[in-house]
Amino acid sequence: MANLRDGLEKKTLTTLVSSKAIGRIDKWIDKYPLEQKKSAVMAALRIAQEENQGYLTTELMNAVAQYLGMPNIAVYEVATFYSMYEHKPIGKYQICVCNSISCMLNESEELFHYLQERLGVKPGEVTQDGRFSIKEVECLGACTGAPMVMIGKEYYENLTHEKMDKILESLN
Amino acid sequence: MRAFAQIIKSLFLIELLKGLSLTARYFFAKKITIQYPEEKTPMSPRFRGIHALRRYKNGEERCIACKLCEAVCPALAITIDSEQREDGTRRTTRYDIDLFKCIYCGFCEEACPVDSIVETRFFEYHFENRGEQIMTKKMLLELGDQHEKQIAADRKADAPYR
Amino acid sequence: MSDSTTITIEIDGKSIQVKPGTMLMDIADDNDIFIPRFCYHKKLSVAANCRMCLVEVEKAPKPLPACATPVADGMKVFTKSPLAIAAQKATMEFLLINHPLDCPICDQGGECELQDVAMGYGGDVSQYDEGKRVVNDKDIGPLIETEMTRCIHCTRCVRFGIEIAGLQELGATGRGENMRIGTYIESALESEMSGNVIDLCPVGALTAKPSRYTARAWELTHHDSIAPHDCVGSNIHVHTFRGLANRVVPKNNESINECWLSDRDRFSYQGLLSNHRLRDPMIKVDGEWQETDWNTALEKVRDTIADTKENSGSDQMGFLVSPSATLEEMLLLKKLANGLDVSNIDHRLRQVDFSHQNQQPKFMSLGLPIEALDTIDAMLLVGSNPGKEQPIIAHRLRKAAKNGAEISLINHRDYSLSMPLHCQLTESYTGLVSLLAEVAQSLPGFNATSLPQEAKALFDKAEPGEDSRRIADSLNNKKISAVVIGNQAINSPCYSLIEVFARALAEQTDSTFGYLTEGANSTGACFAGIAPNRKLGGEIEDRSANTTTMLSEPRNLYILHNVEPEYDFADPVVAVETMIKSDCVVCLTPFISDDMKIYADILLPIAPFVETSGSYINIQGKIQSFKGNTPVENTQARPAWKIMRVLGNLLHIDGFEQLSSADVLQEFESELSAIKADNQANITEVCVLDSVDSKLLRSSQVNMYRVDNITRRATALQKTPAGQEDAVHINSNTAAKYNLNNASRVRVKQNSTAVGMPLKIDNSVADNSVWIAAATNVTKKLGPMFGVIELEVD
Repeated sequence: MANLRDGLEKKTLTTLVSSKAIGRIDKWIDKYPLEQKKSAVMAALRIAQEENQGYLTTELMNAVAQYLGMPNIAVYEVATFYSMYEHKPIGKYQICVCNSISCMLNESEELFHYLQERLGVKPGEVTQDGRFSIKEVECLGACTGAPMVMIGKEYYENLTHEKMDKILESLN
Repeated sequence: MRAFAQIIKSLFLIELLKGLSLTARYFFAKKITIQYPEEKTPMSPRFRGIHALRRYKNGEERCIACKLCEAVCPALAITIDSEQREDGTRRTTRYDIDLFKCIYCGFCEEACPVDSIVETRFFEYHFENRGEQIMTKKMLLELGDQHEKQIAADRKADAPYR
Repeated sequence: MSDSTTITIEIDGKSIQVKPGTMLMDIADDNDIFIPRFCYHKKLSVAANCRMCLVEVEKAPKPLPACATPVADGMKVFTKSPLAIAAQKATMEFLLINHPLDCPICDQGGECELQDVAMGYGGDVSQYDEGKRVVNDKDIGPLIETEMTRCIHCTRCVRFGIEIAGLQELGATGRGENMRIGTYIESALESEMSGNVIDLCPVGALTAKPSRYTARAWELTHHDSIAPHDCVGSNIHVHTFRGLANRVVPKNNESINECWLSDRDRFSYQGLLSNHRLRDPMIKVDGEWQETDWNTALEKVRDTIADTKENSGSDQMGFLVSPSATLEEMLLLKKLANGLDVSNIDHRLRQVDFSHQNQQPKFMSLGLPIEALDTIDAMLLVGSNPGKEQPIIAHRLRKAAKNGAEISLINHRDYSLSMPLHCQLTESYTGLVSLLAEVAQSLPGFNATSLPQEAKALFDKAEPGEDSRRIADSLNNKKISAVVIGNQAINSPCYSLIEVFARALAEQTDSTFGYLTEGANSTGACFAGIAPNRKLGGEIEDRSANTTTMLSEPRNLYILHNVEPEYDFADPVVAVETMIKSDCVVCLTPFISDDMKIYADILLPIAPFVETSGSYINIQGKIQSFKGNTPVENTQARPAWKIMRVLGNLLHIDGFEQLSSADVLQEFESELSAIKADNQANITEVCVLDSVDSKLLRSSQVNMYRVDNITRRATALQKTPAGQEDAVHINSNTAAKYNLNNASRVRVKQNSTAVGMPLKIDNSVADNSVWIAAATNVTKKLGPMFGVIELEVD
């Protein structure tokens, strides 16, 4: 059988991300005891993801594994467990709609559907111009402002359709 | 007194007439005898005759080679070999029933999770040569194809009680 | 019974004395109280994620998982109380939510823990009527079939990878409903013990691919046997279906293989079903092969032997015996050889350096029990890759390494053993001796006076580096230490020098010295005297003959027992040429091959492992006997010991009246029980190192799935990445030196042979060294396993 492990050309992390990013990862590694290098995996993945237009590839994850001296699969486990790691290309603006209890009671579901219609994409898809993608996420801890979305690192709260439209227009 | 009655009875042939009247009654009564093989008795949908292997409507054989019939068979009449068919499904390469060993108990049918092996209403068959009593997979499938309509109707009739 | 270190607990009203800190599950198991479980396994860490083992504990508000609850004094546990039963029933219902109802087509059906526990503890109706989860399968190699929809996420396979195999390849990706066990990307499992996940999987998610869909658990007949591919002698159950081997599973033996089995031992049975099986005795008449009957064939063998003895002398006969032949076969062969006055008999087929053969110990053994490897503190392994050669030994060492043992390796190549290593040094095969000299040099107070001249010279030249010092320190300072030389050291042209240094190191650091030998029965071969310099019983006498001399001067008659010259010798080309030059070659073999048809003259079908009875002596000196199973249909194959017995009778040699293989052993009962694995020897004769400076040197290891004629025919093993290993490995320095950096294929030249092979730049190989696996279909056309080699772009 074709063994993907052999097929993939093994690239080191240093060739895949900028030296600045390596510096940031190293800083995280320094925070843990030397034999606990792998504790830095979440930070390393996050930084690697930022360097790669917001999503992780198998190549990137393998490189992180190699860099931290972990088995590849252990990195895949972490990267697939947390919803903040993406495995497919995302839009320039990833709109994360909270679906947890407070937002749900304040009609976040309806907002999610509105976004899908308005942008013409389903969760996991990217608009044709490559600008937007949407995603349903669990509670972001902003229940006072339900319903809310997170775009990039910004929170937008107490949303209505009109407010959402304005936000989308402002993101040009 | 008893002796007298006995004499009267024998003198007037009463016993004989009684017997003849019974004969006469049945002579004119509606006949229940069946003229086999021209005539046949009615059969239950549960009749356990010769076996057949069924197919699904799309022509795919039902049997998945689970070998439960082979395991349950009290007479060890069933022999199955299985393999992974090219499409990845589990199939038999051999499904033999030795009809000399078979006691027609119907356990195989009961054990079958996919209603594949069934016992049909067909019971009139004979063998002329040694070895012919082994029903192979091909023969069983052919039987199933021939009698599918009847088999399906019988299963349906019996479904409420299963 | 009760003392201060034990406490009393009560399970189901039964009062039990236990050690504090033990888990409830272990105590219940020890006291025959069954608690249902899926994720718990006695050899793996506790995960407590299946929740099947919930039991009621007095004063605990909720049921507790027995596998993760340590005992406390006065604890009262109820495994069958209404609360426990309700908890177990509810757990079972949860586990079955996503489990498909495909038991009829599931290979696990009939031996499935989920089926059994569902019968015993589950309810009859599920309240769940939503859609079930379906998981797409990934191909994880030719050995293991996956059906991950059936997975209940017990994570036994994941923990096995991390804890036992030392190579995490399976993992749990995703979360919640989307959690999946798998490799994430499609790749074949590489662990040489991967097959164990089949046994560990409590459901039918991981099943054996080679035997997929062929038989149900209840149709199989169990036979106990001993694995015949390495010197460990793993205990196995062979499961046969209508007389044919259908699968092999491990048999628990805590002192040898525990509950594990290497993939080679597990899947090699496929070789037995090969269509290359020799079914009838065959003889070559005027260049044409004819099938014949046993009488004709054996009479022909008798006539040939008698003829050769009469006309050319006994010295013109040679017996070459597989190191995996059974002890009974070896004993009878030796008797036969003795009766014919033949001293040319050998099992050391891949060995080339015999300089010190007359000074070797009576039995070659590990020097300590296999079990003792778990608790070793330091070990130096020389010329050995146990991961591929004796996977169970590697597993034991991995256990030790995890507990802090310092395992060091000196090899031709940096073998990753999936364990934390203390130190690993690599050199070409001549450099390897220098490395050992360096370790000796860095040992404080090393007494070099007892070393032979050649070794002394190397010792004086040695300039130890930091790593050699670390190895010497670890051997010197650790309490229980051992120096072990492996297959590659034994097959190396510098074997005697390696052994001299290894022995000296062991002696002067108070370490045990030991060997890891080839084949399943090398120790048995020593006992049976399957070497020109050994007597029946193992006693050594002064003789210089050996495999090499036997091949370099072609004899008139060769008797090959279970040997394929094209694969089983150090130099396959020379071996085959010699066979062709010989007047007559008699092969006792279970298989026939095209090569064999060319060099052989008489073929006698023998019953291989599973089909014959016999015994092996494993590397710790333990003799293990096994029974034979019925032979394959339509074959005239006979157990080899019977053939030898009849040959003995035909040749009118005394001592061939045995009626069973056990009878053969009976004769040697007292000697066998006296086997001592002490490896004592004093070696003074060593080889002279050829000057090979600045030449490119080949070193090799026998491809792990091509070690003997059975594994070579095991189709699934051949399809694994390891089975397909056929590249030329060199490191980037060597590649640069010989301008091979951009080459993808090279032409390999060795002596008069040359073949084209793919090139792999692999920095695990030592400088100036070329690593090529031996015994493959390509390398059978190449020169010796170790030697000078040339590479050029193909």
